[in-house]
Amino acid sequence: MTDETKVATLSAEAITAEEQTPFQLVMRRFRKHRMAMFSLVLIGIIFFISLFAKQLSPFEVDELMVGKYFAPWGNVDQETGRVHYMGTDNIGRDYFSRLIHAGRISLTIAVSAVLISSVVGMAVGAYAGFYGGTIDSVISRFIEFLLTIPTLPLLLILSSMLIRNEDLIPIPAPILYGAGKLMLLSPYQARQGVLIILIFAGLGWLESAQLMRGTTLQLREQTFIEASKSLGASDMQIIFNHMIPNSMAPIIVSASLALGGYIVFEAALSFLGFGIQDPIPTWGNMLSATQQFMLDKPWLPLVPGLPIFICALAFNYVGDGLRDALDPRLKK
Amino acid sequence: MAGYLLRRVLQMILVVFLSAMASYAILNFAPGGPLAGLRQQAQTGRNRITEEDIQRIRAYFELDLYLPIRFSRWFLGLPRGPIVIAGTEFFANTPIGCSKEVEGVYKDSKGNFQTKVIGCAEKVYLTSLVARRTSNGVIRGDFGNSWRLNRDRPVSDLLWSRLPKTILLVGIATLLSLGLAIPLGIYSAVHQYSKFDYFFTSFAFAGASMPTFFFGIMMIMLFSIVFRNMGLPYLPPGSASAVRDWTMPWFGTVTAESTLDRALHLILPVAVLTFISVAGWSRFVRSSMLEVLRQDYIRTARAKGLTEKVVINRHALRNALIPFTTLAVFTLPALFAGAIITETIFSWPGMGRLYFLALGDYDYPVAMSILFIIAILTVIATLIRDILYTVLDPRIRYT
Repeated sequence: MTDETKVATLSAEAITAEEQTPFQLVMRRFRKHRMAMFSLVLIGIIFFISLFAKQLSPFEVDELMVGKYFAPWGNVDQETGRVHYMGTDNIGRDYFSRLIHAGRISLTIAVSAVLISSVVGMAVGAYAGFYGGTIDSVISRFIEFLLTIPTLPLLLILSSMLIRNEDLIPIPAPILYGAGKLMLLSPYQARQGVLIILIFAGLGWLESAQLMRGTTLQLREQTFIEASKSLGASDMQIIFNHMIPNSMAPIIVSASLALGGYIVFEAALSFLGFGIQDPIPTWGNMLSATQQFMLDKPWLPLVPGLPIFICALAFNYVGDGLRDALDPRLKK
Repeated sequence: MAGYLLRRVLQMILVVFLSAMASYAILNFAPGGPLAGLRQQAQTGRNRITEEDIQRIRAYFELDLYLPIRFSRWFLGLPRGPIVIAGTEFFANTPIGCSKEVEGVYKDSKGNFQTKVIGCAEKVYLTSLVARRTSNGVIRGDFGNSWRLNRDRPVSDLLWSRLPKTILLVGIATLLSLGLAIPLGIYSAVHQYSKFDYFFTSFAFAGASMPTFFFGIMMIMLFSIVFRNMGLPYLPPGSASAVRDWTMPWFGTVTAESTLDRALHLILPVAVLTFISVAGWSRFVRSSMLEVLRQDYIRTARAKGLTEKVVINRHALRNALIPFTTLAVFTLPALFAGAIITETIFSWPGMGRLYFLALGDYDYPVAMSILFIIAILTVIATLIRDILYTVLDPRIRYT
C-alpha cells in the first residue's frame, strides 16, 4: 500500500518540470558560459574596489612623497607606516591609490555614458520605428552615415575641442557636483569627466537607436500589438509595455559590450592627451606617462595597461555570455 | 539600376555638403577659437597687443566675416569680390562682416562682469575681399593654408607628403590581414569545436578586446627594449627610417634610409595593425562561414557527392565572403585616415599622426580637411559596397 503511493508521488515530481521565470532561464544559460561567469566575478571585484576606492587607498591621489621616486612595490612610508603596495611614480605619487581612483573614474564615465546613450537611443529609436515616415528615414539615414564614419577621428576632434575650452562650456553646477561625488573629484575637476561622458553619449546613442528602431519595426506588425491597440491602448502604453520590454535583450547585450568599449576609448583619449588631463588619474594618462621611462623600466606600462585590457576583455566576455543567454538564436 | 545610381549620387552630394558643414561647424562654433589666447595676452602689460593687431589677425583668420560668407569662401572659394557683369560691379558696398567690434561690459545675474559684442564700428564690404588671399575652395581640392604645422603652406602639401607613408603602412597591414584572416576564419569554421577552433576563438576574442595602444606599447617593450637589453637583435621602436646608421646584434650595421632600414622600421607597426584586424576580421569570417555551412544548398552540394574541397571552396566560401566585403571596402577611408593610435605610438610620419599633431597644435585647417576627406571616402565606400553587393549576390536588386 505505502509503496504504491510513494511511486505515484515520485513520478509526479519527475514529470513536472520546475517552473522557471525568464530571469532564472537566462541566468541558467549564462552560467554555462564559464568565461562569462568568471568575467562577471572579476567585474564585480573591480566594481567593489572602485566603490571603496577612498577607503582602500592608503594615500591621496595627489599626495607627493618628496624624494621617493619610483619606490619599489611594498615600500613602507616611515612616518605614517602606510604601504605603497605598487610603489610610486616618477614624482612620488602612490601607484595603487591612483590606479583604483582611476578605475572609479573610468567606470563612472563608462556606466553613465552607457545609461544616457541607451535611454536617448531607445527614445529616438522607438519614435522613429513606431511612427515611421519622413522623420524616420531622415533619422535612420543620419544614423547610418555617422555609424560608418571611423569613430576615433570624430572622438578626438570633439574631445580636443571641448577639453581645451572646458572652462567656457556652461555645465550646471549640480551635475558637476554629482559627477564629482561619483568620481571622487572636486566639482571643478569633474568637468573633464562630464565632457567625456557627453561626447560618448553623443556618439553612443546611434547604435541603441538603430537596434530599438529595428525591433520596433518588427513588432509593429505583430498581432499582439494589434490586440492591444484594439483594446484601446495609447501609443505610449504600447511603447512602454510592449516595445521596450521586447527590445531589452539586444539593448542589454550592446550596452554591456559598449561598457568595455567606452573604457578603452576613454583610456585611448587620455593616452593621446585629448581626454582627462594629468593631475586627475586615469589608466590612459598613467600609461602614456610611463612611456618615457620604458627604457629603464620596461615593465612599468603593465601597471596601468593591464587593468584596461582586463576590463575590456571581461566586459566583452560578459556581453558575449549575455548574447548567448538572452537570445539563443544569435548563438554562434 | 541607373535611376538608383543617380539617386545615390545625389544623396552622396548632399551628405558631402552636410559633412563639410558639420566639420566646419565643429571648429567654428567651438568656444574660444584662435583669438582666445590673444585676448588674455592683451590684458597683461608687456608686449601689449594693439587694437590694430587684433584687427589684422582677425582678418588673417577671416574671423571678421559673417559665418555663412566664411563658410562659402572655405567651401566654394566664393565670393572673391563684387560680382562684375559687363564692367559694372554689383553689391560692392554690401557689408559682409565687421572688422572692429564694439564690446560692451554688463553685469550678469551672478554679479560677474561679462563682455558682449554690442555693435560694429567698422564694417567689411564686398570690395575689400578683392585684396585678400582666397583659396579655391574645398570643393575644388584647395584646403587652404596650414596655421601651425607648416605655417602658410598649403594643407595639401602636408597631406601629399604623409599619404604615401600611410598607404604603405596600412596597405601592407590590410593585405596581410586579409591573407591571414580569411584562411584562419574558414579553417576554424570548417573544423568547428576542434582544438584549433577553441584555441583560435579565444585568441581572436582576446585580440579583438586588446586596446591598440596597450598592445603597441607591449610590442615596443618586448621587441625593442627587452631584446636590446638582452643583446638580441631588436627592432626600432619608432619613425619610418633611422637618422644615422645603427648596429643590430648578430647581423651588423644597418645603413640609415636603406631598404633594409625602412623594412625593419615597418615590422612593428605592421604587426600591431595586422594582429588587431586579423583578430576582428577572422571572427567575422568564421561566423559568416558557419552561417553558410548550415544552409540547405550546402547539404545539397554534399548530397550530390561533391568532394568536401569543392563544397567549401566553390559553394560555401563565395557566399561566406559576401558580408565580409562590407568590412573590406571600409578599409578605403582607413587607408587614407591611417591608424591614429598605431602611428602615434610608433611616431610613424603618416596621416593619422598628422591628424593627431594638427589637433594638438590647434592647426584646424589640417584637421578639418582630414576629417572632411574621411567623410567623403566613407560615402564613396558605402556606394562601392552597395554596388558590390549586387554583383556578388544576384538576389539583391536595387530599383
